Amino acid sequence: MKAAVFHGPKMPLSIEDVELDKPQDREVLIKTVASGVCHSDLHFVDGFYPYPAPAVLGHEAAGIIEEVGKQVTYVKPGDHVICCLSVFCGYCEQCMSGHPNRCSNKAATQRNPADKPRISQKGKPVFQFLDISSYCEKMLLHENAVVKIREDFPLDRAALIGCGVTTGVGAVLNTAKIEPGSTVAVFGAGGVGLAAIQGARIAGARKIIAIDMFEGKLAMAKRLGATDTVDASSSDPVDEIRKLTGGGVDYSFEAIGLKKVAEQAFNALKAGGTATVIGMIPVGQKVELDGYMFLTERKLQGSNMGSNRFRIDMPKYIDFYLQGRLNLDDMISRRGKLEDVNDAFRAMKAGEVARTVLMFN
Amino acid sequence: MKAAVFHGPGQPLTIEQVDIDEPKEREVVVRTVASGVCHSDLHFVDGLYMWPTPAVLGHEAAGVVEKVGSQVSYLKPGDHVIACLSVFCGYCEDCMSGHPNLCSNKAATQRGASDKPRLSQKGKMVNQFADLSGYAEKMLLHENALVKIADDVPLDRAALIGCGVMTGVGAALNTAKVAPGSTVAVFGAGGVGLAIIQGARIAGARMIIAVDKFPAKLDLAKKLGATHAVDASKGDAVDQIRELTGGGVEYSFEAIGLKVAAEQAYQSLTAGGIATIVGMVPLGQKVDVDGFSLLFEKRIQGCFMGSNRFRIDMPRIIELYQQGRLDLDDMITRRGKLEDVNEAFRAMKAGEVARTVLMFE
Repeated sequence: MKAAVFHGPKMPLSIEDVELDKPQDREVLIKTVASGVCHSDLHFVDGFYPYPAPAVLGHEAAGIIEEVGKQVTYVKPGDHVICCLSVFCGYCEQCMSGHPNRCSNKAATQRNPADKPRISQKGKPVFQFLDISSYCEKMLLHENAVVKIREDFPLDRAALIGCGVTTGVGAVLNTAKIEPGSTVAVFGAGGVGLAAIQGARIAGARKIIAIDMFEGKLAMAKRLGATDTVDASSSDPVDEIRKLTGGGVDYSFEAIGLKKVAEQAFNALKAGGTATVIGMIPVGQKVELDGYMFLTERKLQGSNMGSNRFRIDMPKYIDFYLQGRLNLDDMISRRGKLEDVNDAFRAMKAGEVARTVLMFN
Repeated sequence: MKAAVFHGPGQPLTIEQVDIDEPKEREVVVRTVASGVCHSDLHFVDGLYMWPTPAVLGHEAAGVVEKVGSQVSYLKPGDHVIACLSVFCGYCEDCMSGHPNLCSNKAATQRGASDKPRLSQKGKMVNQFADLSGYAEKMLLHENALVKIADDVPLDRAALIGCGVMTGVGAALNTAKVAPGSTVAVFGAGGVGLAIIQGARIAGARMIIAVDKFPAKLDLAKKLGATHAVDASKGDAVDQIRELTGGGVEYSFEAIGLKVAAEQAYQSLTAGGIATIVGMVPLGQKVDVDGFSLLFEKRIQGCFMGSNRFRIDMPRIIELYQQGRLDLDDMITRRGKLEDVNEAFRAMKAGEVARTVLMFE
């Protein structure tokens, strides 16, 4: 079957034939219907984060169950599912304390290095990316990497929920737990940032400031719930946020993955405020925080995949969409085919799109 | 009256005569009985933080109300009180949302710049330190800088509660909200660090690791509740904590005011852990946080005066002392007179004492 294969940083993905094994024990085989092109894939293609090659990238997908392993109880062939990279064992300390997104025992959901690999090419292993590898016509996953969804839900929008939407909305609702009436600044109005803005709107924030360098993205941010916008290409965002709020925000979110922006998110807080870093800051970079600012009880915290318990959270987000409270339609800027994946990366870098979704036949 | 006057960084305090005004409106004159020598005063004497001169330092004191202003309703002459630098207006946003320690309207509790100063020398203003100035025979304060306590509480131990104990116990119970059964590391076993250790013990932490470079302080830490001690002069503290816990602690505290210790506190965390910076990191110094590690949902947060609502917290702390659950007796290493203040600073720097308390006749 066709897949987009990563051969190393700074090289375009190439469309090649790969083989998927049969599902074992608790594994499921899924026909991929839609796969979003998320910024995190680009981090690996750009070489900011390392990943072994060859690998099939892609980690934001929805599809239909085709075949299940003999111990699978949660899904059956024909079920519609969203995949999530937060595959969980279900019995480690993190899973049992309500943080399956931090599962410390993922090995229990993976094949051993000595076993036949899930993905291969001419008998040689191809690395699975984040336990998913969705730039491929089919996916072979542990059942704890999927959530079952209703069949009348459009699978292209479901794919977005698989990573970007859960990450952004979850950072606001689960990680930061913002309060109604609070003030919020979101740095970066890409897919994750727009989801954070919508999360803030759903949670009842009274002021939601979107910060970006692209006018088109700021316009989209306003449409999705931002009450104010700051163009960071022509002004200092920290100054602007202080002016708009009379001193700083209660909550800020970094949704790009830049050291400097994480620092701005911290500096834009009022006393007692919380900055949540969602973006993936390149490996080896330090976020530098002014020591004396801790005296005003400011906080900086990381968020991984929106602190999700995805089997609980994703059905909620689907309800929000169906009720018209979470806009996913406008977050899909373009649809393409698997072959368009490299152009989707280019368009993302150029700030042209919130999300491209690759559709499979 | 006699007071210890600060004339600039790097100079010893000098004992001089200072005039104190009559209490106006909501002000109170307190006869100082005991005043603790806290590390924060030393930060100003060492020039790591700025304060205008001349000033009377000291901010950890207890005493007896001598005289009250015309609008004071909370206190009457003869009442025993603890003074706290977290003077609060009671009606700003921070006060009204349960964070009076972050009061953003302290001017409402102070005299105007054109009014007669509270403290003076030969008609010239002497700056009040942190709205208190506890290194003086008397203090002139706003009533909202005081909490009334029972007459049978020893005032030397009450003084400690005024800053160091409140800060440490509050950091554990209010700021970090240490959970029962959790793992804790405390960097620095001085007055504040020992109070954090006791707070963690009171909260039911199962592992409390004290980190210091002085064996005598580590011994006292163990006596007060630390389950493990790490000598930071013998090997990397972070490595030692990881080894003891099998990966890191859920809560860490920095109780010295050192950039390096703050970074180590963060590095010692397990996934989802919280580092609380209690010490005053010198102005201009940056605390570096590894960007990648934020993906493990770690948090670094500031703490100011133990996130206190001191009129609620201090009476509770007194009860814990009276029940034998909080040891204050062992935290007073020495007692001295006002004239001993410079010697107390020296002993603190040398790691000889947890606390010196200056006693007034």
